[in-house]
Amino acid sequence: MASLGSFLLLAAFVVCSYAAVVSVVGARRRSRRLIESGVGAFYLIAAIMSVASAVMINAFLTDDYSIKYVAHYSDNVQPLFYKITSYWGGLDGSIMFWVFLLSVFGAIAVYVNRERHRELIPYVVATISTVQMFFLYLMVVHKNPFTTFLTNAPADGQGLNPLLQNYWMAIHPPSLYTGFVGMTIPFAFCIAALITGHLDDSWLRAVRRWTMFAWLFLTFGLTLGMIWAYEVLGWGGYWGWDPVENAGLLPWFTATAFLHSVMVQERRSMLRVWNVTLVITTFFLTIFGTFMTRSGVVQSIHAFGEDPMLSRLFTGFMVIILTFSFGLVIYRLPLLKARNELDSWMSREAAFLVNNWILLFSALFVLFGTMFPTLSEAIVGERLTVAGPFFNKWMVPIGLVLLLLTGVGPMLAWRKSTIRNVVDQFLWSTVAAVAGGGLVVALGVRLWSSGLCFALCAFVTGTIVQEFWRGALVRRKNTGTDLLTAVIGLVGRNKRRYGGYIVHLGIVLIFLGFAGNGSKKEEYLQLKLGGQATIGAFTVRNDGVKVSDDGQKQMVTAYIAVFKDGKRIDSMYPSRAVFHKHENEEARSDPAIRRSLAEDLYLVLAPDTDFGTQTIWLQAFVNPLVDWVWLGFGVLAFGTGIALLPERAYSFALAKMPAEVATGAITLLLLVALGTTRLSAQMHVPGATGSIPPVKNALEEQLREEMGCLCGGCAHEALNKCTCSTAQTMREQLRAQIDQGKRHDEIVQALVGVYGGQHFLTAPIDKGFNRVAWLFPYVMAAIGVTAIGFAAVKWSRHTDAQPPTFTATANPDLDERIDDELRDLD
Amino acid sequence: MTHRYIKIGATAVVLVGALAGLMWSTLREGTEYFKNIDEVVTNRPAWEGKRLQLHGYVVPGTWVQRPNSLDYKFKVQNNPARQTTSGGVVDASYTGILPDTFKDEAEVVLKGKFGPEGFHVEPNGVMAKCPSKYEAAAKSASAGS
Repeated sequence: MASLGSFLLLAAFVVCSYAAVVSVVGARRRSRRLIESGVGAFYLIAAIMSVASAVMINAFLTDDYSIKYVAHYSDNVQPLFYKITSYWGGLDGSIMFWVFLLSVFGAIAVYVNRERHRELIPYVVATISTVQMFFLYLMVVHKNPFTTFLTNAPADGQGLNPLLQNYWMAIHPPSLYTGFVGMTIPFAFCIAALITGHLDDSWLRAVRRWTMFAWLFLTFGLTLGMIWAYEVLGWGGYWGWDPVENAGLLPWFTATAFLHSVMVQERRSMLRVWNVTLVITTFFLTIFGTFMTRSGVVQSIHAFGEDPMLSRLFTGFMVIILTFSFGLVIYRLPLLKARNELDSWMSREAAFLVNNWILLFSALFVLFGTMFPTLSEAIVGERLTVAGPFFNKWMVPIGLVLLLLTGVGPMLAWRKSTIRNVVDQFLWSTVAAVAGGGLVVALGVRLWSSGLCFALCAFVTGTIVQEFWRGALVRRKNTGTDLLTAVIGLVGRNKRRYGGYIVHLGIVLIFLGFAGNGSKKEEYLQLKLGGQATIGAFTVRNDGVKVSDDGQKQMVTAYIAVFKDGKRIDSMYPSRAVFHKHENEEARSDPAIRRSLAEDLYLVLAPDTDFGTQTIWLQAFVNPLVDWVWLGFGVLAFGTGIALLPERAYSFALAKMPAEVATGAITLLLLVALGTTRLSAQMHVPGATGSIPPVKNALEEQLREEMGCLCGGCAHEALNKCTCSTAQTMREQLRAQIDQGKRHDEIVQALVGVYGGQHFLTAPIDKGFNRVAWLFPYVMAAIGVTAIGFAAVKWSRHTDAQPPTFTATANPDLDERIDDELRDLD
Repeated sequence: MTHRYIKIGATAVVLVGALAGLMWSTLREGTEYFKNIDEVVTNRPAWEGKRLQLHGYVVPGTWVQRPNSLDYKFKVQNNPARQTTSGGVVDASYTGILPDTFKDEAEVVLKGKFGPEGFHVEPNGVMAKCPSKYEAAAKSASAGS
């Protein structure tokens, strides 16, 4: 299998070079057939990479330890889910996963735009293929994930790093990579537009959606990273300005800037050079971020380690990108001239421009701070580092200014706002800001940055609410429906604008969470058995320590009772786990977090436990408002989703049914969503005794092992280990079945009926549908092979005389423009 | 037109100047020197009060904890314990939770400042790595991009 994988990578490399060359030649000779051949080869790469990925996943699933990569990142006891995610767990595999994503996204982007932007397609294909070639080259010559052991292969692998065996960490990289890789598509279109000279706004329209999509995933990836850091690393925070975090943040800044300035170009035909520069910079920063974390130029806790060869290759590639792209920009400068000038600083375009500068400055600043140790070593010869406080000192004011602009920008009119205009727009929100600021000062917030942040949050929320309110009132008058329906109709009619407002609302919530950080409390508590200590409004009591072992790891768990206002409100179980395969490493501390919207109580068990007297040390944090960061991301994603909705789908759905139905449906959906959150909020609550009743016979013992606890808070622990009340109930149900004298399979069948599915089993029944999990790689391989065949058939057919399909698209921008101009009239 | 350029130029100069000034001042407080122990023990007074990241190895058997507290005292030396000469040795004090990997002979990086009675490590300022951890970190996957 390994040699098949290596061969596929080589083949992909060859096909890539063919696609790149033949596309360029085809475009220059205006040969339709050559271009189509290039596009076909481009689809082929996606197919080959899918098959290669399937081979890799298969190797993980079948525990093929003859492949070094598999032996490093998997072992026999690893759960199925983490076996699959180990694919991108290491350096080599993550590069391969990167190419896989890029090939798939590239194929989709080319397929979607093949008619509308026919003149750009060959160069898009060439650009993406070149980028893929670079990464494939890396793998082929230097980091082949399919490298095998030359002599005897180990019988068992080393296992994925315990810190990464976390749900969030498993989906964090794909999301971040989707963001990174997605940014390659706008770059490819940009380069194609620069080469062909088709520099009107049409290429922007092709990439706007892609950028939004990639931006969403980038944001999602960053948020997941924060959640992971918060839940796993156990230092009570979520962002430490670590180089790896910064690497993800850099392109986020420039992509955000681009999403704003692209509007200015569409409306006012300004900032054209700027936009091109931003697209190129964003792409460059994704590559640079990868370089930074993979090559060991910057030291970090979770960087991949030093690799001079990799760093040389990356440097070469980055130099080529920069020279080539900016050379093209300079060559095309005459075509990129702005058609309009800035009329006034009191205009939306000016606000967007300032926002862009600040975002770009942030990117440069973070880049500078991250590279500072390397820079200082190169220039002064001393390794100087800057840490969190330095970043915070700069980024806090910058963030606040950006937050202010979030409120101000969208309210200003294009071209020029009059004073009356400004007063009208900002009167109420300023009142809200002052009230909000006053309120938090009255509540006792004394940190200027937090107070200001709260006030600004109130301000921005004020502007957004006002915008929805006014729009809805107008629409209600025009359509004669109720207010809620009017709001939904409003959003539906102008999704980008109102979607954007919802995104801004999400940003406000995220900032609310940041502001809460200002009143964070941290303390070290020593607790003897039964001893109590107080932090913030909470009192914690040590109810004892327990040591357990589940084969994969040894755990020390502290039982902590939590009191508030004299009442017992919760129990918490901070623990530390030593993984048997990683015994020399630091134990994984699993902090216990008691979440609430107002504040989180966050407990970390220190290693200094004295087992004799059951005395423990706790590092306790009270983190106010943290959960608003994650909630804010949810709102942001919802807003982006609305802005991304295809124009036609939504209006079609709305046209088919009366508007009130939509309102009803959405209200219902919200209720359901709220209901589910209530359900999922059920926590892992160990029974008062914490003991497990003895088994009656061997069958019960076996079944207890096979069944997992369903409380959702204990990682699906088997019933012979879990001590929570849910497990207690489940054990009773099991005992009832056993007492009826049923056999193994009958009991399982009966319980499937009781729980409504077989999710209660720790391993799925190996038959029927459940084999699908194991079939997954083969299905993927089959799809890839079919795609290859399909491409081959289609390719060989002559399709020269295909009439161009003409799609009539209503111009949504026109609507929006008229809307705005009308608004500006009064 | 030239008038306009002068205005723009002046604004730019002022802005860039202000930023550079701010950057310089914050950098002066914000930077930390990364030093090996031998580099600082020879000229300790010069380093007193400056923020340092001190790299060294825990001297075996010197690690004590004050009872019922998280106050620790230990010594760190320049060279790994398996070498015959220890190199410079520094007294260090720390209050807080030590990582599990902090043991005798462990390689550590301490963040903090020199005071009169030794090197004072700031909260959460101990980074310890044992050899296997270091190797694992190099291979491991931080998936982070």
